[in-house]
Amino acid sequence: MPPTMAQISDPKIAFAYLRPACVLLTREPSVANVETVSGQLKDINDATLQQLQEYVLFPLRFVLKVPGPKKDKLVQAVAEAMSHILENTCVQSWETLHNLFSELCLCLCSPTDPGKPADTSEELKLAVLRCLDALLHAAYGDIVFKLFEPIMLPGLGAAISLLLALGEKEKSREVQAAALKCLQALILQCDCTQVHIVPSLEERRAIGSTMASFLPGLTTAIARIITGDLRQGHAVTVKAMKVLSSAVGLVMEDVQLQASEPCKTLSPNLGKITQLVVQRKQDWLKSTAGKLSVLMKKIISCTSAHRHWRVRLEMVELADHLLARCSRSLGECVGLLLEALVGAVNDEEPRVRERCEVALREVSQRNQSSSGDIPGERSSIQTFTDVLSENLHSLATSLPRLMRTSDDQKKLFVLNVFLGYLKVLGPLISVVLNSAAHLERISKALMQVLELDVMDVCIVEERSHSSTIETTSTSSDCCSAHTQRKHFLYFTDEKILSVLMEICRTLGYYGNIYLLTDHFLDLYRQSLAYRKQAAIVLNEIVRGAAGIGVVTESHGLEGEGHGHSTNKDDLKAAVMSVMEEYTSLNNWHLITVSEETNKDRQDQQLLSPPRLLSISNSDISNINVNSLQVIPSTLGSNSPSSSTSTIHQLNSNIWQLCIQLEGIACFSQALGRDFCPLLMTSLYSVLEKAGEETLLVSQAALGSMWVISKACGYPSLKELINENSDYLLNDISLNLQRLNQHPQAPRVLTVMLTHSDCSLLPLVGDIVQDVLMALDLSYDHTAALFCSVLHALMKALARWFPSSCNKTNESTRPQQTSTDQEVLDIRQFLLDYRKQKELAQGIGIEEDDTDNLDVPPPMECEDVEHNDGPNVKAELPSHLNITKDVMERCIHLLSDPSLRLRLKVLDVLELCVCVLSEKENELLPMAHRCWPALLQRLTADDPLAVLRAFRVLCTLGETCGDFLRRRVSKEVLPKLSSSLVRQAPISAKSGPVYTHTVAYKLQLAVLQGLGSLCQRLDLGEADLDAVCEACLPYLSCRQPTRLQEACLSVFRHLIQVDPDSFWFTLNELHCPSTYTPPHPDLLPIKLSGMGRPRDEYSDNVLKLLKEEFD
Amino acid sequence: MSRPAPSPIYTLRGSGGPLNTLHFSCLGGDTPLLFSGSGSGAIHIWNLNSRRAEKIVEGHSGSSVIWVNSLQSKDALISQGRDMQVCLWDLREGRSEPVDSVWTSSVGFCQCSLLDSSPGNYLLAFAGEQTEEIKIIELPSKTPVCTLVPDTKLGMVMCIKLWQHIDTDIDPHQLKLSNVVVFPSGRLRLLFHTEPDSGPGPLLLAGYEDGSLLLWDVTQRSKLSQAKAHPEPVMCLTFDTKRLRGISGSSEKKLTPWMLDGQNNLQLQDCVTLVNPGVSDLCIRDDGKLLASAGWDHRVRVFGWKKLRPLAVLQYHPDMVLSVAFSNHQDPRQRLLAAGSKDQRISLWSIYNEGADNG
Repeated sequence: MPPTMAQISDPKIAFAYLRPACVLLTREPSVANVETVSGQLKDINDATLQQLQEYVLFPLRFVLKVPGPKKDKLVQAVAEAMSHILENTCVQSWETLHNLFSELCLCLCSPTDPGKPADTSEELKLAVLRCLDALLHAAYGDIVFKLFEPIMLPGLGAAISLLLALGEKEKSREVQAAALKCLQALILQCDCTQVHIVPSLEERRAIGSTMASFLPGLTTAIARIITGDLRQGHAVTVKAMKVLSSAVGLVMEDVQLQASEPCKTLSPNLGKITQLVVQRKQDWLKSTAGKLSVLMKKIISCTSAHRHWRVRLEMVELADHLLARCSRSLGECVGLLLEALVGAVNDEEPRVRERCEVALREVSQRNQSSSGDIPGERSSIQTFTDVLSENLHSLATSLPRLMRTSDDQKKLFVLNVFLGYLKVLGPLISVVLNSAAHLERISKALMQVLELDVMDVCIVEERSHSSTIETTSTSSDCCSAHTQRKHFLYFTDEKILSVLMEICRTLGYYGNIYLLTDHFLDLYRQSLAYRKQAAIVLNEIVRGAAGIGVVTESHGLEGEGHGHSTNKDDLKAAVMSVMEEYTSLNNWHLITVSEETNKDRQDQQLLSPPRLLSISNSDISNINVNSLQVIPSTLGSNSPSSSTSTIHQLNSNIWQLCIQLEGIACFSQALGRDFCPLLMTSLYSVLEKAGEETLLVSQAALGSMWVISKACGYPSLKELINENSDYLLNDISLNLQRLNQHPQAPRVLTVMLTHSDCSLLPLVGDIVQDVLMALDLSYDHTAALFCSVLHALMKALARWFPSSCNKTNESTRPQQTSTDQEVLDIRQFLLDYRKQKELAQGIGIEEDDTDNLDVPPPMECEDVEHNDGPNVKAELPSHLNITKDVMERCIHLLSDPSLRLRLKVLDVLELCVCVLSEKENELLPMAHRCWPALLQRLTADDPLAVLRAFRVLCTLGETCGDFLRRRVSKEVLPKLSSSLVRQAPISAKSGPVYTHTVAYKLQLAVLQGLGSLCQRLDLGEADLDAVCEACLPYLSCRQPTRLQEACLSVFRHLIQVDPDSFWFTLNELHCPSTYTPPHPDLLPIKLSGMGRPRDEYSDNVLKLLKEEFD
Repeated sequence: MSRPAPSPIYTLRGSGGPLNTLHFSCLGGDTPLLFSGSGSGAIHIWNLNSRRAEKIVEGHSGSSVIWVNSLQSKDALISQGRDMQVCLWDLREGRSEPVDSVWTSSVGFCQCSLLDSSPGNYLLAFAGEQTEEIKIIELPSKTPVCTLVPDTKLGMVMCIKLWQHIDTDIDPHQLKLSNVVVFPSGRLRLLFHTEPDSGPGPLLLAGYEDGSLLLWDVTQRSKLSQAKAHPEPVMCLTFDTKRLRGISGSSEKKLTPWMLDGQNNLQLQDCVTLVNPGVSDLCIRDDGKLLASAGWDHRVRVFGWKKLRPLAVLQYHPDMVLSVAFSNHQDPRQRLLAAGSKDQRISLWSIYNEGADNG
């Protein structure tokens, strides 16, 4: 091989260069010789090669022509060499083309049976196929069409069937793909990057006419390939689809068929071949289209849900291609192809989606333009729409069945097709929906598909507590995390739900909002079975109508006019009507808790409504009892439904409420700021549900509150409530007067208080008065209901006005540490002692006065307070006034027969004390008034109440210690210490179960509180001794650990009060070390605990001594 | 059939003081308004669509506002305060400043009364400086028209009502030709006048501290008739100019209706007895079908105006009701009743208005 890289460009030199090798090859056909030739060929430049083409091809062809079996290797080498030549040159003579074509085909087929591929190596087949491909590409435009003359039919047919057989049966994917590519090239529809001949219409007609003969065989074989083995890889499938689309597109092309087929005069010498020639007449077309539609159906169903996106993309291409070129002649297939296209609109792969959108846009434009151009074809767009709406209708009909029977994948596809239709129809949806049959079908389908599974038991059982409300109030994310997933009967995949939702939104976006809301509201009212689904659909329709969550490409049939039909006013009117229905008495006040808890509510029924003179009221008309609906027992006074309400019904009610709450959130999103005026009516309802006991409902309500506040431009729930408190309070105040009808009013107030801040207080003031008045009017029935309001109120007040209650807690700490660190200075002690004594005797008082000069500031403060006049009391801040009022009620309620209520009241009382603690002047009289009742709770009540009362006492002790001292030491301590003493031996002997008893809890509570109570109250020595006496047994290590710990805390507090005496007491019990007097003059100390052996008390005593005195 | 007592359709809160007076302005414009005057000296302009105070104006230096009214259009407001001033307000284009004021020098609680005398002109009656004195001036010129003082001692003026016979259809038989004018163009113009006794001179009804009612002829400045309607001071009165029938309330348990006969004589009719004593305000609906009373017993009572049949007791306020007003909304179905109370709230009621068109 010459080392020169430059190619030979002189034909003569090239000829001389190639001649020896060619001659050798002709003489001796061997692989080596072929390789020499092909090696040399690479040194010849293209133009020169073209001139020598015939010459160099000859020896190669000669090799092939030699009769007898040939080695695979040789043929392969020849094919490769020929490919090189053909790839770089053109074939200008028909002879060459024809001969080469048949020779290559011969290489492929088996020598015995020309119809079947030869049993040769894959490499060989690949090489030959490549060569064939190169040949077809190299053929000149004027000769290539000769291939399609009728005379060629048999040869062509053989080649096609051969290639199809290779494409279908071959194991190697590469060979399959190459064969299919070859086939594509053969019908001049190749899509590779090389330059191709563009056939004119006449030429296309000629090719098409010839190919028509092979179409049935070709399409069936191709269909087999496409629908064949799924494992064959996407490349083959894609190629096959390409062949199919180009072949069908070629044969069935509308343009070819439109102009009447020139009557072909077949030369008589064709003989039998005439039978092969097909005349593309009307009836042929019809039957072909019919057969094709069968194939298409198979192919589409196989490819549209194919796992590989390229296949799906190819499917779109196919549909687009065929719809574009032969929509008229394909007849029945159009619907199928359209469906396939529509189904791909929502493909998960964006490339497929985009392509599909383009295709659909083209389809619709084509239809539009054709209908515009030719008056005769006016019906074209009509038919297209008809096809679409027909398909939609039939799909809607079969949807419920499909949703019940097929798997999730299939369901998703079906729904995607459904959505695709809607998108393609676009604004025409409103036209389609005007047909009652369509609307009915679609809505029924949605109703059935969206049926909820309401059997989950735990939904009913979950209860919300105020604590959860508070935690969730901090952020919206928190809430959304809690929202429960809906369970549907017919599907589980979240994707399916989102497609369904998008279907609804698209309906809302393009449809007539009045028609839709009316229709679905009818369904909502019609039957309990449809109610929840209808609400879901309505919610999404409204969102869609506002353009939320709708992908709005301008494809579809609308052309340039945009299809969004709903304006703000219409939307608002629709929203108002839906919301009115949602929040109407029947649909809003549903039972969500089972009967036992319902009993409380039934109590309220006893409150007879104050019947006054007859006055019309619009609300009354709403109470038309729907027999299917569970009516809250508070309405129908003795409705049997409450007793029959099963878990199923309760769940259903809960979900309905959740959906409706979500709906209100959707509406606010849809209307944005325009929703603000609607807050007047809706916010109260939502808050009502936010206070609901059922966790799911209250969380849904909170969630929708967040959405509403975002939609209306409030940064948080607090602002939402504060800014609209006038609306809320109005309803609360009205409903408080009609508690029997509106027992939720206190709940709303509770929610308001929980989420708001002190800026609400001035507004709430008069409502609180209303509450208290309503409470005063009927303690018996409403106490339980109002107690929770009072609790929420006091909790809110305690939060808004953090008072000294907490401050004192903090202030006690430094005191303790200071005493800890105080180092006893004997000298200073004696000096102080002397000074005290002198003072007591009246010496040095004047000096002292001057010392205390820095005291006056507080005096001035008092002056300021007295400036208002001696008799006029300074007006109390309103929160303190409210607290006083509440405390007043607590005094009455403390002796309520219901234990539950008493406990709650004690909680309220504690909060009252906390809030009032900032004004001692107010607290003390109140404390005095509630003392007797509290004492009763402390001394003669259920252990639980005692526990709670003790906590109140401790809180009281922290704030008004002096005031309580005498009372506690006289009335409380003796009882407490005696009970402690009494219980000590029992708890010491008890087992682990004891810690679950009330007695244990009582002991624990008493011990935990006693220390700080003693310290706060600054009790006298005798009392301290009594306490100490009572507590000592609990230092025993036989007591439950927590009791020991609590007892230790008592002693820690006691040591703060009087370190010395308790040091002594402890050492009496157990003394770890001997004390040597600091001076020999002093007597040695003898403590009774000294030298005692380790006993049950030693550990705790040592611990205390170490902690407090070292 | 007895239906449960209605609740207010809404309550307006946040006025910051007892609500002495209410006045609706629902004609024209798209937002119906309600004016309220409170004991804290503020005049609230409530938007009845959003149910929130649209504007709050203060012009009586913190003294209690006892009367508000609007002049023809809702853009001009007139208010009376206990600072002895009557203020005129211009509310056009979002303004809210007083444009004029009249010094009444009356220390009492008597509310003014306003009468449209001719387009753009108003007569304003108010209690004067002297105990029994009533002054009438013309607005906006502020020219005094007359001062009415009774001969006998009747005590303070408690309430007044200025009104005029409205003859919607003039009886042609009562017309007398008074003059003929011949214009230069040759056209004739006949001028008629009606009989003097049916003449539309403004009249004034006044209730006094001793319980007397007096009817004054403003143009003649003379007392037309007098009746002792109550043993206690007359707290309020209202008058139906179509039926020539009025009613007054006092601190007792009675409402006293009375008629004007053809000779303008006051004739007392049978009393209506109430459950609890004390009425602070009375109001007749424009269509002459309903009468509402604001009771000291925290209740608003509604009567049929023709026969004074009690129809409803509206209970909402926890304190004295001080004022009532019916809205003048064009659509009878949207007509409201408003009640202002000492508890600083205004309650709005939608009652007896659904069948307004068929009676």
